[in-house]
Amino acid sequence: MKVNTTRFGELQVNKEDIITFSEGVLGFEKLKQFFVVDPGDSTLILWMQSIEDSEIAFPIIEPKIFKPDYVAKLLPADMASVDLEALSDAKIYSILTIPSNITEMSANLKAPIVINNKKKVAKQIVLQDSKLSVKYEMYKDLKSYIVSYSSDDSKRTTVAEPQTISAKEETNVETTVSPKRENRNEA
Amino acid sequence: MLVLTRKLGESIAIDDHIKIVVVQIKGKQVRLGIKAPKETKIHREEVYQAIQDQNTEAAKSTPSDLSRLSEDLKKN
Repeated sequence: MKVNTTRFGELQVNKEDIITFSEGVLGFEKLKQFFVVDPGDSTLILWMQSIEDSEIAFPIIEPKIFKPDYVAKLLPADMASVDLEALSDAKIYSILTIPSNITEMSANLKAPIVINNKKKVAKQIVLQDSKLSVKYEMYKDLKSYIVSYSSDDSKRTTVAEPQTISAKEETNVETTVSPKRENRNEA
Repeated sequence: MLVLTRKLGESIAIDDHIKIVVVQIKGKQVRLGIKAPKETKIHREEVYQAIQDQNTEAAKSTPSDLSRLSEDLKKN
């Protein structure tokens, strides 16, 4: 199907790449269907684009990239809410806020987006851990990760390769995520 | 909304498994104790508000924010 977006123009989205948020995202409860867009730049930031509202897209990132010790402790009820049997079937993303002063960019660690990769259902799950911040400033950590990442040639080719916005790549995150990032996710 | 009056030490029960006790009353503040099954999510309302605000803010981002960031991240 073709989806119109204000940021990326018209995109071709495969049905199997559509992720359903039965409860929407907090503050955007009416929007139920999203897909992930990989702009293929060096920031490792992806977009979660709404199908129903062309203007709505959230920048997202795997929190383990800038905070390797991050763990989303999901309760059995959380797992059930996205029909999840094993954590290995899940993709965890943090929504990013990027203010005009980018050094103050922050990630929401308290309420990650949990996607059941197999069933393509997702939810923004509010974790019980009171130490987790809604606005975790992570500019420095991201920068140091990217600097060390791009200086290491062995890991370079998979992500540093410029990826043009072709519909195939945008809608299929799996093919554009580097093996390193996959490993981090499973760790 | 159901409104109940409770005194210090008194409690209310919600369903069979959730109990809320008035633990302390101090001026304008009330301390509540909540006994609920592990899977029950309990948060201060402000947490939800903060998440909504953060989501609203995040949805305003544009690819140009990311290219700015991308440029910046390349600098040492």
